[in-house]
Parts: sequence; C-alpha cells; structure tokens
Amino acid sequence: MTIREMAKELGCELVQDEFEDAELSGGYTSDLLSDVMAHARAGEALITIQAHKNTVAVASLANLPAIVACNSRPIPPDMIEAAREEGIAILRTKETQYQVSGHLFALFATSTDRAI
Amino acid sequence: MSPRLLASKAAARGVRLLALTDHNSSLNCPAFDSACRTSGITPLFGMEACTREEVHVLCLFGHLDTAMAFSEAWTRLLPVIPNNPEKMGDQVYVDDEDAIIGEVEYYLGVGAECGLDEIGALVQGFGGLVIPAHVDRAAFSMTSQLGFVMHGPWAALECVRLPPATDTLGYPLITSSDAHYPEHIARRPFVLEAETDELLPNGPASASGMDMSALAEALRHRPRA
Repeated sequence: MTIREMAKELGCELVQDEFEDAELSGGYTSDLLSDVMAHARAGEALITIQAHKNTVAVASLANLPAIVACNSRPIPPDMIEAAREEGIAILRTKETQYQVSGHLFALFATSTDRAI
Repeated sequence: MSPRLLASKAAARGVRLLALTDHNSSLNCPAFDSACRTSGITPLFGMEACTREEVHVLCLFGHLDTAMAFSEAWTRLLPVIPNNPEKMGDQVYVDDEDAIIGEVEYYLGVGAECGLDEIGALVQGFGGLVIPAHVDRAAFSMTSQLGFVMHGPWAALECVRLPPATDTLGYPLITSSDAHYPEHIARRPFVLEAETDELLPNGPASASGMDMSALAEALRHRPRA
C-alpha cells in the first residue's frame, strides 16, 4: 500500500503532500521520539501525536516516509516546511492512535504482498 | 554555534550571567569558559538533559569540572544511536579558537535512561541545580509529555512566556533564549537579584566557581505565578 492509498483508506487529510509516493512496509505507533529512533523500521508510517518539527527530523533519520498526526493535532508551519524539504508526507486525522493503528494493521494484514 | 560567538553576542546584548546548555552534553563548556572570561561574562556550565519521558531539564553547575563529571556520567545513560550528520547536523565540540577537537558520533537528541523523578537527585549529587525547561511549550516539556507540571527539587521552572498559561505550582520562574541559532542569543533574558560577590565569593577567577546555594537563593526570589 502506498502513502496516498493509505491516506485514502484512513480518510486522512494530506497536510503536507509534496512527496514521492512510496510503498509502506507497515506502521510504528509511538509518542516518544527516542523510542521511534530506536525501534521504527525504514518504510513504516509513523502514527503519533507529537506534531512538531523534531518529529520530521526523526522520521528523516529513521527513513519513515509518512507521519500520521492523530487526534486532530494542529500541525505547526515549521513542521510542514521541514517535511516539505525532506519530502515526508504529513497526514492528519481526527481518529486516535489506537483507531489508526488498528485500521492500518488490519489493512496490512489483509494485503497479500506485504509482511507486517 | 560557537561558544565564542555565544559569549560575545550575549555580552554585546548586556548579558552578565550566561549558561551553555547543549543537548545532553557539556563538551563545549571548556571553550565556553574561556570565551566568557574574554567577554567578561560570568559563566554557568551544564546541559539541557533529556529524560526518559523526553522532558528537557536544564542542569547547571558553577564549576567546569563538576559539569564535565556530570556530563561523563550522563553519557553512560544515553542510548547509542548513530548520528547522521547530513540529516541531523554534526555534533562537534571545539577549543578556545573554535577549532573542532571532536565529534559526538551517537545522536544527542534522545532521552536518557533517567526519569524526571531521578534527575534532580542525580544532578544535586554533583552539586548542581535543576530547572525543568520551557514547561509551557508544546514539545519536550512537562506539560507536553505528562500533561502537567510535576513537583520536584526544582530551583526554578523555565517558561517560554511569563506569566505562564499553565499551573506552575508556585515555583520561581525564569525565561531564557533556548537559542539554537545565533540570532536568538540573549532573547528572553531575566533579571536575577544577586550581587556578583554573593555568587562568586572568592572572585570571578576563583577555582571554587560559583556558589550554587547562593544562586539557588537568588532564584528563590524570582517571581512566581
């Protein structure tokens, strides 16, 4: 599933949509950026409420191509700009991390060409 | 940002007491010490530590040696995640002449294996003071990470804005620049009611450094919300 396909499936708003669409390998749900850096794997979407510029830096370092900001978190302009420079997608949803994680997990589970 | 640039810009803007608090490291403090002497500023040494909860906490020491000892101890609590200088910036430390003397290869923007409930005692054990950073900010603060200001052995709380929009539990409040770029140096200074000879009873060049209990006493007189 690509980032744009995920955005459509989850019904997310694409807040930063200047990026090269890419296949996602799964997702990682965390609000501690240290934890994301230590455990997230390249190609995963980051599901979080930490919506700030540092989230983009961590996503870049860990090669996470998309950030899904939950609970309708406001996205500050400098976060959007940083993500634009890195070509990292920012999606926003009113759903909680639990809902998004469950939804995404199920989507990947039913996809036959992707390991979770 | 060079310690020399920091000290000279701050001095030009009328700052008299200045702390260097790099993320999770005090490796630029020796150069900062020298730069402050040149610029006629009284230095404080330390770091902006990041706890396990990803709360930023200012750790301040009146003597370079204790700051460096604490920094070494703190380093052992940091997870080892290789830095990527192209993406995250290089993490260099410099000498008095701004020449690079080393580079930290593991990423310093991480949380240490030390909780907010532990860091106060740890810093105090080295003779330092603890001031939770930007408590009213939306990231890396007690309010962003915990939802509230927590009680602890805080000499003060640092706020982005005074009066703060959050309940600061009666702690003395300060502001500071949190300068990550030269143009931010010396923004949001605060007034500390203290005489130099109270803070430095043995003179500015003394080996004993700053009297941290005098500093703590001066901070106690800062306005509270």
